[in-house]
Amino acid sequence: MKTTFKLFSLLFVLCAFIACSDDDDGDSITEFTVTAVSPESGTIGTEITITGTNFPTDISLINLTIGGTPATISSLSSSQIVTTVPVGASSGDVSISTSDFTQTAPTSFTVLENLELGTIENIFAPQTGGQGQGEIGGEFTKFSFDTGAVTQSDTDWDIAFRGTTIAVNGGSVTGTNDEPERNGNAGAAIVNGIFDEVTTANGLTFSQDANGAFAIPTGSDNGWYNYNFMTNVVSPIPGIVLVFRTRTGKYAKIEVLSYYENAPSNPDGFVDAPRYYTFNYVYNPNEGGTSLSN
Amino acid sequence: MSLNKNYLAAFFFLSTYFFGAAQERSVQRPVKMDTLKEVVVTATRTLRQLSSLPLPVTLISKQQLRRTGVTRLDQILNEQTGIVITPDVTIGGGEGVQIQGIASDYVLVLIDGVPVVGRSSGNLDLSRFAIGNIKQVEVVKGPSSSLFGSEALGGVINIITEKPSSEKITGQVSHRSASFNNQNTNLNLGQGKGKLGYSFFADRLSTDGYDLALDQTGQTINPFFNYTFNGRLFFDASDKWNFFASGRYFFQEFDVTPSTSEETDANLQFRIDHNPSKKTNFQYEFYYTNYTTNEQSVDPIDNELLIENDFDQQLFRPEIRFNYSFLPNSILTAGSGYNFESLDRSLFAERVTFESQYLFAQYDFKPFEKLNIIAGARFDNHSEYSSQLSPKISARYQLSTNFAIKGSVGSGFKAPDFRQLYLDFTNAAGGGYTVFGREVEAAGIQRLQNNGEIATLQVEPSALGESLDAESSVGYNFGFTYKRGKIASEINFFRNDFKNLIDTRILAAKTNGQNVFGYINRESVFTQGIETDLQYRLFENLNLSAGYQLLYAYDKRRRDDIDNGEVFGRDPETLETIRLEQSDYFGLENRSRHTINFKIFYEIPEWAANANLRIVYRSRFGLTDRNGNGLLDELDDSFVNGYALVNLSFGKTFYKHYRFQMGANNLLDFKGNNPLAARDSEVLINPGIQLFARLNFQF
Repeated sequence: MKTTFKLFSLLFVLCAFIACSDDDDGDSITEFTVTAVSPESGTIGTEITITGTNFPTDISLINLTIGGTPATISSLSSSQIVTTVPVGASSGDVSISTSDFTQTAPTSFTVLENLELGTIENIFAPQTGGQGQGEIGGEFTKFSFDTGAVTQSDTDWDIAFRGTTIAVNGGSVTGTNDEPERNGNAGAAIVNGIFDEVTTANGLTFSQDANGAFAIPTGSDNGWYNYNFMTNVVSPIPGIVLVFRTRTGKYAKIEVLSYYENAPSNPDGFVDAPRYYTFNYVYNPNEGGTSLSN
Repeated sequence: MSLNKNYLAAFFFLSTYFFGAAQERSVQRPVKMDTLKEVVVTATRTLRQLSSLPLPVTLISKQQLRRTGVTRLDQILNEQTGIVITPDVTIGGGEGVQIQGIASDYVLVLIDGVPVVGRSSGNLDLSRFAIGNIKQVEVVKGPSSSLFGSEALGGVINIITEKPSSEKITGQVSHRSASFNNQNTNLNLGQGKGKLGYSFFADRLSTDGYDLALDQTGQTINPFFNYTFNGRLFFDASDKWNFFASGRYFFQEFDVTPSTSEETDANLQFRIDHNPSKKTNFQYEFYYTNYTTNEQSVDPIDNELLIENDFDQQLFRPEIRFNYSFLPNSILTAGSGYNFESLDRSLFAERVTFESQYLFAQYDFKPFEKLNIIAGARFDNHSEYSSQLSPKISARYQLSTNFAIKGSVGSGFKAPDFRQLYLDFTNAAGGGYTVFGREVEAAGIQRLQNNGEIATLQVEPSALGESLDAESSVGYNFGFTYKRGKIASEINFFRNDFKNLIDTRILAAKTNGQNVFGYINRESVFTQGIETDLQYRLFENLNLSAGYQLLYAYDKRRRDDIDNGEVFGRDPETLETIRLEQSDYFGLENRSRHTINFKIFYEIPEWAANANLRIVYRSRFGLTDRNGNGLLDELDDSFVNGYALVNLSFGKTFYKHYRFQMGANNLLDFKGNNPLAARDSEVLINPGIQLFARLNFQF
């Protein structure tokens, strides 16, 4: 009996020792927690900070994924992990795992698509009539922000051009000749400022085309351009940024740079061909995304 | 000395018919003989010695007119300090006068004290006025509405014709030939015998015109001819009663076959001077003027009438003036009148009429020997806009024999013109936009709405047709004069604050994509600067003079916009919007910061000859906004570089009665480049050197 007790005691001590030693070399084994991810959405390359407790402090022991795509940790402490949204990531859980534990952040992360931006050159927007040559008519040239190109589609367009007139695919027909049917929810807002300073569509009021009136008012000095009768030049008014809600409720902004073919810096109203739009644009392809600047 | 006697005689003669009371006063004042001849009437409506006036006044003497060999009013004005003749608009527009940076619309032009009408888009063409029978031209700078009412904001130009002073028939015939087949013949004769005097003037000018845009069809200035006739009668019935009647007729026709472009300007003036006592003078004046144009633009191919633009403006004005002299140096002037104006124009729905009544009073006095104060005001009551009170006060203090200080504050106004009130014009050829004057805009919009031509109304319907206010200004002038021996110099600081300037606004967008425009009181601008004149008699017969004007002219609202960061331009490389700063704003169109003139007049009595050289320089100026931000900024490619015009003239008298003159205007053949010319084509600023020769026979 005594021997049994001793053996048990020995075993206990041994076990205790083993357990203790297990505990001792097992910093990584302690259960950690993830409390927050900030921000909760961002484009690829966005720096995100994950906060929590008891994070292992050895980067090599941590496996971090965003929506299943491994992300690289750029700095680490027991309460904070800093990483960037990896190329190829898609929206989903932010997950941190070690050999023993796997923890998922309480909120999932939304990987946003990058803002699309660029310069669209020489969109030709012919019209018939006008300027004393009879009634204005002619097809509008339609443009879609998600493809960043002119489109022939009767539905998949956001804005359309004819002469100096810009239509949006939202609201109703205005009553002019040859205009496209409105079947989306597009709208337009005119903002004064420098293109880069217009950073969000938040708080803007969007108008839609309506019977008798375009969302972007027509005529010199009413909307986006002014016309100088002495030089016969249509100039985009500097400081006018057109912000659009697209047919599907996304947002974009444009700045018209020129109304003349090949965007000459000093267009000649008697020589250069008019009705060629060149504009800079920024398009936010994310559902509900109002940001218009990276 | 005999020369001065003649001047004295002429002056005396003129005074008796013109301003009896003033004449008494002038004689009472001890005045140096050599300055006595420099008297002006425009500043005070009484005869005043130029050098004693508290206001900035430019006097262009007959001698200067004769020696320079110019034939039209615009040419001589351009050589005076602070006066610039500048293109009214850009290509193909007329030229207008600018005084202290204030445009032609706000400058009143008078002939013998009565106003000339007939403006094209606000601009009065000064080349209409032949100067062959002119005694002098007086230019009062700064607002003078306290005496003259509407339009006298920037200044008043008064063309004073000559009164015959010789018992025998005297006169002259002259012919001048110049470049561009410019042929000018005139006859001037007159006689003053006993109580009766008369004079007659006839002038014919024709030219082939010239072209500034050589590679475009048509000419900038089409060939034209014009006639001016002026007949005047003087009857000095007694010491107390003098009568004066004058008729002037001008006719001009451009050769623009098959189109038509004709212009007539007729003036009739009748005045009675009554001097019940030595101190009292009444003047009763009746004035009628009629200005017409007849313009038809015809398609040269199918003879279709494109545009008809006829204009028929009339003004009838009776006026009574009263002068009373207090001894020793004070004079009270008062007056009252009634304007009946009417205009019939193709672009108006119907003939429109204005009526206005006015009263003015002025007290010119010397509280003590060295101080002269002139205080006055005028009240104008008008049928179409709110009445105006225009006060003005000016003072001059003689600090020492050589040095004087002068200053004035005055207000000016310009009534909304017929166009701004009654225009009803749709430009079918120019794209189909519509312009309505304020009085007809409500009805006009209603009409367009009924026709379904209005897409959206941009103003509150209730705001349509509210009456326009007069444009108004306050002008400040402050300066010094210094005269000593051979030197005469003057410096004047000026500031003119304009408010309620009438601008166009958009009333509605039309369904054809064009706008309906109306007029609105909106803009506030200012002009300020310094003008300085220096005259130096180097030798007995050699006079040098130099003048300089520094000018700043800006739209105040635009400057505020820039301060608020609301004015943008386009980077010429990227075409992207950039924010403009105050330093990018060049100022108002057609204003040069610096204008300089330099003149040498040389007399050679032993040869009965004279020569003169006049140089006029204006610095860089801009023509129009080109980048759509509504102001002229450094990014607008519309600047004309600074340039100088050099004019030269020689004259010599032969056989006592004949005078031959020759010379060149724009001797250096400056042509310049209009920045608004189409690419790869050239449009000039100036047609280049103009040579002339003139023969004059005096009898």
